[in-house]
Amino acid sequence: MGDSKRHRILMVSDFFYPNFGGVENHIYLLSQCLLKLGHKVVVMTHAYGNRSGVRYMTGGLKVYYVPWKPFLLQNTLPTFYGTLPIIRTILIREQISLVHGHQAFSTLCHEALMHARTMGYKVVFTDHSLYGFADVGSIHMNKVLQFTLADVSQAICVSHTSKENTVLRSGLPPEKVYVIPNAVDTAMFKPAAERPSGNEITIVVISRLVYRKGADLLVEVIPEVCRMYPNVRFIVGGDGPKRVRLEEMREKHSLQDRVEMLGAVPHAQVRSVLISGHIFLNSSLTEAFCIAILEAASCGLLTVSTRVGGVPEVLPDDMIVLAEPDPTDMVQAIKKAISILPMIDPQDMHNRMKKLYDWHDVAKRTEIVYDRALKCSNQSLLERLSRYLACGAWAGKLFCLVMIIDFLLWRLLQLWKPAEDIEVVPDIVLSLDEDRGMSQDFQAFNEDHSLR
Amino acid sequence: MDNNIAENPSPTRAKWRKVAYGGMQPGFDDNHTDDSFLEGMVMNANVVKRDMLKVMQDSVSISQYPCIVVLVGLVWNYTLRSTLDETSLLINRRAPGALKNPTLTSFISLNVSVVASVFIASRLPSRLHVFAVMLFSLQVFLFAPLVTYCIKKYSFHLHLCFSFSLMAVTLAFVYTLHRLLFVLLLGLLVFVTVVCPYWLIRMQEYKFEINGPWDEANWLSFVLILQIKINSANH
Repeated sequence: MGDSKRHRILMVSDFFYPNFGGVENHIYLLSQCLLKLGHKVVVMTHAYGNRSGVRYMTGGLKVYYVPWKPFLLQNTLPTFYGTLPIIRTILIREQISLVHGHQAFSTLCHEALMHARTMGYKVVFTDHSLYGFADVGSIHMNKVLQFTLADVSQAICVSHTSKENTVLRSGLPPEKVYVIPNAVDTAMFKPAAERPSGNEITIVVISRLVYRKGADLLVEVIPEVCRMYPNVRFIVGGDGPKRVRLEEMREKHSLQDRVEMLGAVPHAQVRSVLISGHIFLNSSLTEAFCIAILEAASCGLLTVSTRVGGVPEVLPDDMIVLAEPDPTDMVQAIKKAISILPMIDPQDMHNRMKKLYDWHDVAKRTEIVYDRALKCSNQSLLERLSRYLACGAWAGKLFCLVMIIDFLLWRLLQLWKPAEDIEVVPDIVLSLDEDRGMSQDFQAFNEDHSLR
Repeated sequence: MDNNIAENPSPTRAKWRKVAYGGMQPGFDDNHTDDSFLEGMVMNANVVKRDMLKVMQDSVSISQYPCIVVLVGLVWNYTLRSTLDETSLLINRRAPGALKNPTLTSFISLNVSVVASVFIASRLPSRLHVFAVMLFSLQVFLFAPLVTYCIKKYSFHLHLCFSFSLMAVTLAFVYTLHRLLFVLLLGLLVFVTVVCPYWLIRMQEYKFEINGPWDEANWLSFVLILQIKINSANH
């Protein structure tokens, strides 16, 4: 371990493989790129069904599936101090230097960051979503976030809008928040060799069919577009509570042969669905960063999307047509997209995407954040408590109490199970195949999934 | 923690753009906070600026109800003591319009007043007494809201006069009956008309509503407003 810049990172989140989603993919791909840069990465998440214990993934990525069952929306039951022993053991065994938590909605992440700070480790947090301020759920979540981020070393957000939102919710100084966007695996999302021929224009929608993703907007937009353009057809992939409404819309307007409903699309088949279309439609009502748009652009599709959240920052103006989130404006945007479609070259778009987004670039920028985090000074308990006190009149004192108890429990644990007794894991460095591209990793990722 | 690299103020440095693509922007760190940071934020957009006098005038309507309740209670009391003749309660009133769209709360309040009247009625000497008291209570509780609403619509001045005279009359009657109750009623009326408006306006200072580009789009209300406008234009 001569290289002093080699970090030993523990990624923590409730959301990881075998679940598929934005956060899960982000953690996996970021970890793979960091491994390629020579760092050590270990992931910690909760058990998924029978999948409990230690597993190894491609590239030697070690994953701890801690035997806690999820209790609500993939989150582990928050016990405050219950996770302290296991986290301490993992941190000592793997000789971790830095803990990186993901997603504000993950209870495991908050607990891990709290314990890591108590034990003196440096901590980085990445926020992946936008939240409001007005409803009860958001108010409580923001308070919890304020607690966790009161003492974080650095924070990362996936878009500039997300940075504004996180800074307002948590009260962090803006200089502590880095904006490092997600990226897309361009080797996997390649356009078709030949564009779908014929004079039919196919519009693809792939999203969860829920209110938040604008499924109701689709119900208004699709019949109108089908009426205006007889040569347009829709492919709708995804499932959810609003699927019934879309089926009803199909029946009502007799669009069975023009609107194809695919149901839930496994991640491995997303590309094949995308390349069968010309235009990608995203109707989300809120989005911190939309990876689906990147995947579509990488496959050479022209995107039509609602102008919400961080979406305007994601693509250059000539690759996306933005609309206000209401049906009339969206129909106008689709009209404009259809008119500029002949000028779009999918291969050209794909090549541009390769330059605009790259996971290796994301990993390098994250590395800079880690370097800065490790340069932060070590603080004693008293200095840290003053930061928690600033969180609020009542909340501040409560947070201080929580941290003091955590500190005492940690000391107790040190006496009961001294660090010397915990066996340290030796470093196993796999021979890295330099030629192997990210796509093979991703393929292995998907094959792992299909074997289950 | 060194966040600011000594930047070269040469004119060749590109302007910072609020975009996520293209990797790190040359000349800027990832944690660079531009002057345009939070420029899309709107604070307290939906908060209504309240005027103390207006709020006090509105609270006068609320103070009518304790007065009515107390008056009915007084009537019960006088009837029980036989100071009031039962025939004088049988006043003939015309209903100023039927009760439209009754809500759950109005049902509950009506039922409560009926139950209360029944308890009083159980103490009364004759059937005529009971009938008179029940009828009187029902009429007052049913029609009082309608009467006050009609007066308010007709003339705000008349409404204020009516309210103050109601309060004065109630206070006068209670004063003759029981000193302690008078003090309590006076305290309640002062609380409702003066203290509560002041408290509301003080608490408004703490209102901190934040809106911005990160909010979930609320297109349904936009569409509904549009439909209402179209409908009203058509009629």
